[in-house]
Amino acid sequence: MKRREFITLLGLLLLGGAAAQWRNLALFWRPRFNGHMAETVTAVTDLMFPGDGLPSATELGIHHHIIAMPDLQELMTDGVVWLDGRAVRQGAPDFLALDEVGKLAAVEAAFASKDNDARQFVQTLRFYAGLSYYAEPVIKAAFPYTGPPQPEGFADFRDPPQ
Amino acid sequence: MKTDANWDAVIVGAGAGGAAAAYGLCQRGMSVLLLDAGPRFDPATDYPLTGSDWDTREFPKKAGSIGSVTFAPGQKLIGNEPLLASGSRGLGPLVTTGTRWMEKYHHVRGIGGSTLHFAGESHRIHPDAMKMKSRFGVAADWPIDYDELEPFYIRAEELIGVAGPPTQGARWRSRGFPLPPHPLSYAAQTLGRGAAALGLDWQANSRAALSLPWNGRRPCNYCGACNNGCPRGDKGSADVTFVAAALATGRCIVRPDSPVVRIEAGTGDRVAAVLVGHPDGSIERIRSPHLILACGAVETPRLLLASDGLANESGEVGRNFMDTLEVIVGALHPDPQHGRRGLPDDAICWDFNAPDAISGVIGGCRFYNASGENELKGLAAFALRAVPGWGRAHAQSVRRLWGHSLHVGAIGERLPNPNSRVDLDADKHDRFGTPLARISSWMDEPDIARLRFMAAKSCEFLAASGAEDIFESYSSWDWFGATHVFGTCRMGADPAISVVNADGRSHRWHNLWITDASVFPSSGGGEAPSLTIHALSLRTAERIGKDG
Repeated sequence: MKRREFITLLGLLLLGGAAAQWRNLALFWRPRFNGHMAETVTAVTDLMFPGDGLPSATELGIHHHIIAMPDLQELMTDGVVWLDGRAVRQGAPDFLALDEVGKLAAVEAAFASKDNDARQFVQTLRFYAGLSYYAEPVIKAAFPYTGPPQPEGFADFRDPPQ
Repeated sequence: MKTDANWDAVIVGAGAGGAAAAYGLCQRGMSVLLLDAGPRFDPATDYPLTGSDWDTREFPKKAGSIGSVTFAPGQKLIGNEPLLASGSRGLGPLVTTGTRWMEKYHHVRGIGGSTLHFAGESHRIHPDAMKMKSRFGVAADWPIDYDELEPFYIRAEELIGVAGPPTQGARWRSRGFPLPPHPLSYAAQTLGRGAAALGLDWQANSRAALSLPWNGRRPCNYCGACNNGCPRGDKGSADVTFVAAALATGRCIVRPDSPVVRIEAGTGDRVAAVLVGHPDGSIERIRSPHLILACGAVETPRLLLASDGLANESGEVGRNFMDTLEVIVGALHPDPQHGRRGLPDDAICWDFNAPDAISGVIGGCRFYNASGENELKGLAAFALRAVPGWGRAHAQSVRRLWGHSLHVGAIGERLPNPNSRVDLDADKHDRFGTPLARISSWMDEPDIARLRFMAAKSCEFLAASGAEDIFESYSSWDWFGATHVFGTCRMGADPAISVVNADGRSHRWHNLWITDASVFPSSGGGEAPSLTIHALSLRTAERIGKDG
């Protein structure tokens, strides 16, 4: 941030509306979305949709789509910062250094958190990753009645499902 | 550019109303130019329902097929309405702002209009719902009776090939439906057992989907995807029924991608022409010996208001807007249902449809099997909405519960009020400079009370059917996502409080007619409007040109 911008911002803070401006101020110091964050998002995606006998979300490459979504990068950055912060408070260098139980607990805590950034991050990741994951042909193939409507339609529509 | 008229009538809008009017006029030997702002859809290529990604697609959005509208701020939500707050177990509440979410006016521009994406319910309006003012002291009376519409209902049903049951209560028929009713799906049968336990009637819905071959069209194969467009042509959308029949007379010319941006008044009591926009920005003037507007309850008032308030001598154009009053509740049944198999909305309960059928509230409603439309959203939507959580437990629950969902929907009477209207947005315009329509929607307590009844009864329905584990509920209380819209160019006998007369003709302009749901003085108790629009349009087409 340029010095002039900082002084202007400081002036705004002093003049009023201070609480609202803290958020703007924080945006200037948000870290950039980087490789560590992408790795963390990948790990969280895998925890959320592990497959359980089917391919996991990351085996299907779902995380690549998520990481490439430009609209989500700020949210993912904030979310990873929150997860890393929680890991540090537990004595780990960051989220990725936690064991599986620790990671699961951290994600669970994010869902339950009063911190909007943390909660929105995991909720949004669940939404987009889940939408992609359960739309994958290999996943749908493991469930009955997920094939296309046409050309056959459903001759058995009156009967109990097969 | 100027186009000399070599047709008797110009129709604006090729949906339910315009297509039926075109057919009716052509049947009488009149020639018609049928314009629509949107494109022509090709069922064989535009509705891709054979691919593995079918569940990620909705009805296709071809260029020009969605009109832009704006919304006035949503209504502030007052009080705690646990039955009406929209949301799901898996995704949480839909609306958290404390204000009704003005999401979308669901419609399609194109040859066939919104019938292209409708489920195909084919309903006659309840006779008593046409007399809301004189019988119940609310809304307005229709200036015609059910008896006057009945012959036109018959004509429309015959052309479409409507499949329905022998009787539908108060809706008397001079002839049976042309086709036998569709068998009930497995999910509808399950809900039927719930209806029986509650002492309610549960019958096959009357559907614009062929149960047998009809007029060269194949019968339905129960794929359940009516809302995504019917590639087989068995759904009776207006393009494969009325437009096709009008074209077959050789007296109809259809022009897609032709938005009318203005109506030009003529001398005396006649409108002169319409101005049609072209993709290059040029404007074509088309003379209109008779002009029929059929753009729906949002775009028809917009066009009139944008034409210097044409036909708005009463000040009623755009007023009395009524949108869809709707509830959908989903629950998990102990046994798999797989409700996407079969026709969506295949079964219906009319027991609360009469205007006085709900205790303590004026205005009726109907309940229907909404399982198919909701499961049509696919496995992903189910996994996220019905099953909370994540991780292995989530995966196992999705596997265990997929196919167990049942949904009951309810649609009810929507009463007009002074705060619900369509007017012009002062700031937003289309590419031709025409102001966009702005929708204001407001619900008064009687509408909310009706919604509460609809939601509570839907839950009872599900529980009586064995589906007690409710996982989602959506309602119009906090979410505007209207499909059925009515009332902005009300028909009536008194020119001071209506826009068109009982024939659909403007009180002021004698060659200007309206044949869409904007003329409805009341919405009915949840009936799908397309068949009534068809019938009204056929009736209006009988009168056009009879006195010059």
